Amino acid sequence: MNWLQGRFATAIAIGAIFGALSRFYATELAKSIWGREFGFYGTFLINVTGCLVIAYILTLATELIHNISPELRLMTTTGFCGAYTTFSSYELEARDFLEKGNITMLVIYLIGSAIVSMLAIQVGVLLARASNKKFYK
Amino acid sequence: MRRPFSVDALLYNAAMSDIINILMIAAGAVAGALARFYITEWTKAKFSPKFPYATFAINLTGCLAIGFFFTISQGITGYPSELDLLIRIGFLGSYTTFSTYGFDTLTLWRSKQIMTTVFYWLGSVIFGLGAVVLGAAIAKLI
Repeated sequence: MNWLQGRFATAIAIGAIFGALSRFYATELAKSIWGREFGFYGTFLINVTGCLVIAYILTLATELIHNISPELRLMTTTGFCGAYTTFSSYELEARDFLEKGNITMLVIYLIGSAIVSMLAIQVGVLLARASNKKFYK
Repeated sequence: MRRPFSVDALLYNAAMSDIINILMIAAGAVAGALARFYITEWTKAKFSPKFPYATFAINLTGCLAIGFFFTISQGITGYPSELDLLIRIGFLGSYTTFSTYGFDTLTLWRSKQIMTTVFYWLGSVIFGLGAVVLGAAIAKLI
């Protein structure tokens, strides 16, 4: 049961603080640029970039660098990426479209986020594999 | 020497409210991420690793909660924004995750279980929306 170690919890906590604050400021920035109803632009960008980062790090950790410390991995993926991206805000924004009867945006936002984020995952994996080739040329 | 509307007082209040906001978000985020981590570890020990039960359940319960708390906050005048930051932006935003969901989908895809992958990928989204609606409905009953 070594996942009860305080070190893992501390690492995750640190990553989570940075992730959540980044998410908050990013959505506030989106609202200040595009308007108060356009926070979902921020959420979309956050989720997509977060997916890219987590795919990059996890691919590096599992396929390429074999001695990454678990604390570092937890801090960056479970902590940062996990807190930086959000599923609940995404669904709440979708429900807002539903409530307003804006079915077009509902579908575009729901499916669009899902698809683009999976593309970002793939890009993250490819970037990780490509960076390996650069180092060991 | 009371100058209630001095620039100093305004700046102080602005700075304090910023700090309080940051503390609220941070506190919620730590709790949310740790909850997500412990639930995931416990689930990995108990259930088959073939399906991301933990992330699925976490995202769905998080959506249920956000529907509930958001609706509550809309219904109460003077609902403190700090509480909203703590619960919704801090805790629920950190508790639920899109990145883990995305990587789980990739892992499922690589395991060649196509039907399961599609179920997880689309099911999370659709059931998540249903969870928000359900949470909101429950809040309205109160």
